Amino acid sequence: MEYKDYYQTLGVEKTATQDDIKKAYRKLVRQYHPDVSKHKDADAKTKEINEAYDVLGDAEKRAAYDELGRGHRPGQGFQPPPDWGTQFDFGGAGADDFFNDLFSHVGRRARGGAGAGGRAGGGGFQMPGEDIHAAIAVDLRDAYQGGTRTISLRIPQHDAQGQVTMQDKTLSVNIPQGVTPGQQLRMRGQGHPGFGGGPAGDLYLEIQLNPDPRYRVEGTHVYQDVPVAPWEAALGASISVQTPSGTVEVTVPPGSQSGRKLRLKGRGIPAKTPGDLYLMLTVVLPPATSDRARELYEAMARDLAFNPRERIGA
Amino acid sequence: MHDDILTGVLLEDVALTLDELARACNVEPDWVVRHVHAGVLGEGISVQVTSWRFRSNDLARARRLLSVERDFDANEDLAALVVDMADEIRRLRARLRVLGVDPHIG
Repeated sequence: MEYKDYYQTLGVEKTATQDDIKKAYRKLVRQYHPDVSKHKDADAKTKEINEAYDVLGDAEKRAAYDELGRGHRPGQGFQPPPDWGTQFDFGGAGADDFFNDLFSHVGRRARGGAGAGGRAGGGGFQMPGEDIHAAIAVDLRDAYQGGTRTISLRIPQHDAQGQVTMQDKTLSVNIPQGVTPGQQLRMRGQGHPGFGGGPAGDLYLEIQLNPDPRYRVEGTHVYQDVPVAPWEAALGASISVQTPSGTVEVTVPPGSQSGRKLRLKGRGIPAKTPGDLYLMLTVVLPPATSDRARELYEAMARDLAFNPRERIGA
Repeated sequence: MHDDILTGVLLEDVALTLDELARACNVEPDWVVRHVHAGVLGEGISVQVTSWRFRSNDLARARRLLSVERDFDANEDLAALVVDMADEIRRLRARLRVLGVDPHIG
């Protein structure tokens, strides 16, 4: 694995006090917070910052990291000794390889969490595994029809000697029909392994939608732009529209303008309470590139008493 | 590498109990109880603690509250205000997208 300089990540000196580290961390968290940051790589940066602070923010972990990192430079190959870090927690799912590998050999320290609920008895100590949180990106089509998506996670596994090592695991996940962004899918027993025979934790997957330039989603409602010709908008028409749930025949009312919304009730995401599909009409002008087209536009200009700027006083 | 096909349950279909939510957040149940009683978690939840049930929104909100509290040593009201404001930003950005505006450019 490559050595990572967590001090560099947080922009502090190796001699920084715990207080300096905390201040630097908070400043960076604010700067790169995905909800407010305009940086394109805000998510990745936040992850790096959190990973660095997970180690440097804890005096014990920092001391061990300093010990190991002596003489190493960022990007250099790095192998921790086999008995490294036996007293530390794991990083969460999604943390970087370097962090995971540093802390992967270890038995886990009982945390104060409800999940910890350690039971000592019969000479053994049992503790359920921690839950893992990750996100899974699905297409809008999966939300409409259901489907199977794969996700790769690095998950700790017990080997034959009872040691825990990080393993890449590819999971195929059934996506139920009707899912909406932000919903959580719980997979029992797919989290961190338990300790001393305790049950494994659960895996929680937050549903995210892959962007699709054709559609926009708000909760269970779906919005779609539908281009129409000027005569379809003016005279009304029956048009075929490709929607996420298939092709539908839609009536464009006469006198429609760009921006008119047509609601197709229940044709949004088929959740328990199905959403609606909104078709946003956009009038598209044919180009005046041929003689005939120009003639037609000139005839309209001549024969129609039409002032599009009447309402703004022109 | 494994290739298991997993079927999960949505928290909208089978909601979490108090203990399950606490475990999913790696906190004591008391943390959840305190935040529900403070009115910053579990909107519309029943009075009876034993019948408390938490869905996707509650889990995401609890984890975000926890992260603000831990990152900034914030108290629960301040953390709730930050999370509420972030929610409002997300809602407005989603609205902008619906209206055809890229919120990161517009």
